[in-house]
Amino acid sequence: MKQLIKLTVNGESYEMAIEPRMTLLDVLRDILGLTGTKSGCSIGNCGSCTVLLDGKPVLSCLLLAVEAQGKDILTIEGLAQNGQLHPLQQAFIDHGAIQCGFCTPGMLLSAKALLDENPSPSEDEVKEAISGNLCRCTGYTNIVKAILEVAQGQKEAE
Amino acid sequence: MKEYAVVGKPLARVDGKVKVTGEALFAGDIRLPNMLHGKILRSPYPHAKIIRIDTRKAEALPGVKAVITGRDVGPVRFGFVDTPRYPADMYPLAIDKVRYIGEEVVAVAAVDEITAAEALELIEVEYEPLPAVFDPEEALKDGAPQVHDEEIVPTTTCAWQDWGVARAARPYKAVNNICATTSMSYGDIEKGFSESDYIREDKFVVPATSHAAMEPHVALASYDSSSGKLDVWLGHMSLAVKQYWLAKTLGIPLSKVRVHRVFTGGAFGGKIPLFPYEFLAAFLSKKTGRPVRIVLSREEVFTSCRLSHRMIIDVKTGVKSDGRIVAQHVKLINDPGAYRGSSPVVMFLAHAFRNPIYNIPNWKHEGIGVYTNKAVCNPKRGHGSPQMSFAVESQLDLIAEHLGIDPAELRLRNVRKTGDVLPNGDKLDSCGLSIGIRRAIEATGWKEKRGGGNNRGIGMGLAAMFSGAAYYPFASAAIARLNPDGTATLFTGQSEFGQGSDTAMSQIAAEELGLTLDDIILVSADSELCPIDIGGFLSGGVFVSGEAVRRAAADAKRQLLNIASEILETEVDELEINNGHVIVKAKPERGASFGELVKYNIQKHNGDSIIGKGFCKPVPEIEFYPSLSKGTGRFTAAYGFTMAVAEVEVDPETGKVKVHRITIADDCGQPINPLNVHGQLLSQAVMGVGDALLEEVVTEEGRIVNPSFEDYKIPGVHEVPEFIHISTETVEPKGPFGGKEVGECARAAVIAAIANAVTNAIGTRIYSLPITPEKVLKAIGKTGGSGFS
Repeated sequence: MKQLIKLTVNGESYEMAIEPRMTLLDVLRDILGLTGTKSGCSIGNCGSCTVLLDGKPVLSCLLLAVEAQGKDILTIEGLAQNGQLHPLQQAFIDHGAIQCGFCTPGMLLSAKALLDENPSPSEDEVKEAISGNLCRCTGYTNIVKAILEVAQGQKEAE
Repeated sequence: MKEYAVVGKPLARVDGKVKVTGEALFAGDIRLPNMLHGKILRSPYPHAKIIRIDTRKAEALPGVKAVITGRDVGPVRFGFVDTPRYPADMYPLAIDKVRYIGEEVVAVAAVDEITAAEALELIEVEYEPLPAVFDPEEALKDGAPQVHDEEIVPTTTCAWQDWGVARAARPYKAVNNICATTSMSYGDIEKGFSESDYIREDKFVVPATSHAAMEPHVALASYDSSSGKLDVWLGHMSLAVKQYWLAKTLGIPLSKVRVHRVFTGGAFGGKIPLFPYEFLAAFLSKKTGRPVRIVLSREEVFTSCRLSHRMIIDVKTGVKSDGRIVAQHVKLINDPGAYRGSSPVVMFLAHAFRNPIYNIPNWKHEGIGVYTNKAVCNPKRGHGSPQMSFAVESQLDLIAEHLGIDPAELRLRNVRKTGDVLPNGDKLDSCGLSIGIRRAIEATGWKEKRGGGNNRGIGMGLAAMFSGAAYYPFASAAIARLNPDGTATLFTGQSEFGQGSDTAMSQIAAEELGLTLDDIILVSADSELCPIDIGGFLSGGVFVSGEAVRRAAADAKRQLLNIASEILETEVDELEINNGHVIVKAKPERGASFGELVKYNIQKHNGDSIIGKGFCKPVPEIEFYPSLSKGTGRFTAAYGFTMAVAEVEVDPETGKVKVHRITIADDCGQPINPLNVHGQLLSQAVMGVGDALLEEVVTEEGRIVNPSFEDYKIPGVHEVPEFIHISTETVEPKGPFGGKEVGECARAAVIAAIANAVTNAIGTRIYSLPITPEKVLKAIGKTGGSGFS
């Protein structure tokens, strides 16, 4: 039996009839066509499917879509505003924090959640925030540098 | 090193923006109208006869559109290796017998993934379990279960015949489970040992690991019966290999198979050959007339998408008392699992990647590949070099200790130099080994730290790598098309899987043409749009494809200068290119823009819009592959080298090893993009930490017991050491702007360096990977053991 649900994704409201057992990841990718959110393991081990739910990082492969109702969902497609890259996106490009790009969306959203909560994190706090996001290409160092640089830039802008 | 305008600059990668916004499309992101979803039923037994398969209930399930078995597909052989001596030995779906847990038995296509999964549950397969063999040394014994008891008869011509070599594939009958052998030698090994002052022999064991690219394997195939054309979207490292095998196994003309460009979410050698799921997506599409997508689970990636090679390596080395190596005899046993995988190749490369490092006057290299009832092994970043570097570099430290010579000094006394010619005829026109070792010693404070103490240790490892080799399709070509708006469109068959080829190819074209990176419009990795290309494995991307790109751009530039000479009424050698314009050297105010020149040429020269063509072979002097089993023939035209130093700390209570710092002195020639070169080396440093300390695909009675990131740990952000990169500032004269290999070499050097650093810290050696806390505790006598061996 399909169930009618309402989701708010990247500021837009969507109404849809889905199987109640569908995960948020499957709804985002297969129904809404928001394929920027990736599936790397489907069992919550790799962090590729990370999205923000009311600003907090969640693994969308472990969350049923019905449970995300009434919350603000942010996916990678919603990170840039009016065609302007988010400072984290720009910093990832500038610092060589991207290689194959498969973990990048989840990594960026974990980083955004951190900086929104803690604008001046220490290096250890940055590492802790992305410790659930696996990356096989970059060796992580430039990701950490990119996040720290954005934090530093925000502090200087204040 | 020479200064360039675009090459050598740490420019942001050209695919960066689409990757941070989520726009970058990977194969699994593409949905076609009317698309079906495929799933595969796999063998639960390591070795069994298939008595009966009943698919009727699955076929009757609403939403199921096709159910196929090995009988429907037929005996279509394919494999990583397909030579006259070693014909392809795999089937897309098992026929009569299964040989490892995870082997493909039945495939289903249904309207959605849930229905396809339900259909798998309804399939009944009756098996008769057979005695299985898991240990390669057991498998070699008389009376052991035979993994391939039947003769392997080729079902198609092999690439050799297709390319005009008058040797047909021969049937192969495995004796004592032997799937391949390698034997090569140089000098007089017995004489070498008799002249040695010190000889030692050691045995090392390296397990299988997973590539663990973050993107699980995916294939989407769409066959159109009216045109007879197959379109596929899949992660790959060489579109030519996928196209060749899809055409061959499906009986479709090569040019009717289109491999579309998608981004590949990491590869590391793990996405090179044809996989059964790719064939099955295409076969099911052909059968149903609808597009079919197969997305594998992470568990399937671990169990059925190939692993790195398991090796038991026996090394016997003889040295003079001053540390000069005079003889080395390597005997290795390779266990590629239930099918040959890349066994003959890895056993060959196990020699070929070590060959350019040390000048050894007498050597012998022997290998036996042995079938067992386990998951199949294929290339992984370095393909044989990580295994061999761990073994040989470990033993060199043991020799250094015995002789009382510093291990770095011992290496300096033996490494090859620029200008050396190897036994097979390869010449080292660039070789940063000596300078790399010296710079690494200096940068790390090697001599002081080598003293050890405080449970800390420092160790070194060296490795080398080809810059491409003569494998299918044997060449790369490129097209540089000038546009009337002054930009250039570059067509290259190189594929972006994270290594940065899109950026490197664009930078090379921009540099040669005198344009900026933004002026280059790139069309890559589409078999219909792009010319022939050797792909991105064996590290020929920059050296071979990059040189083809440079030549294409140079050809376009030559034409451009000729037109400019005509318009400006000035000899070509009095012209120069500056920022999209051709100008007269003596009068810089006189010139014409590229766009003006293109338009002029179209008007005045019969529509000639200026298209540059370039091509390059990995080893121009040879026509075909070197011999895998005899090691004769040229291998590559340039080698990359890595000198790695690791600094570790061992906790004597827990046995845990912490890697504090990795220093890499790397000889990749002129870096095309220093930011990406740094990224490739850092990537390998961290992957090497995983290999050295964490990673092993554990198999019990043929079953992989850790097929998830929960149980198979790869390095996370907390495992990352400090990383220092030193350039050797060498330039490869034959490479484009002096560039050569960078993406594969360092992993092996890092593994060896960590192993040697651990020994320096604990005073005893561990002879197998990974170096787990349990092994460390045993080695230092904390669990009552007398040292691991």
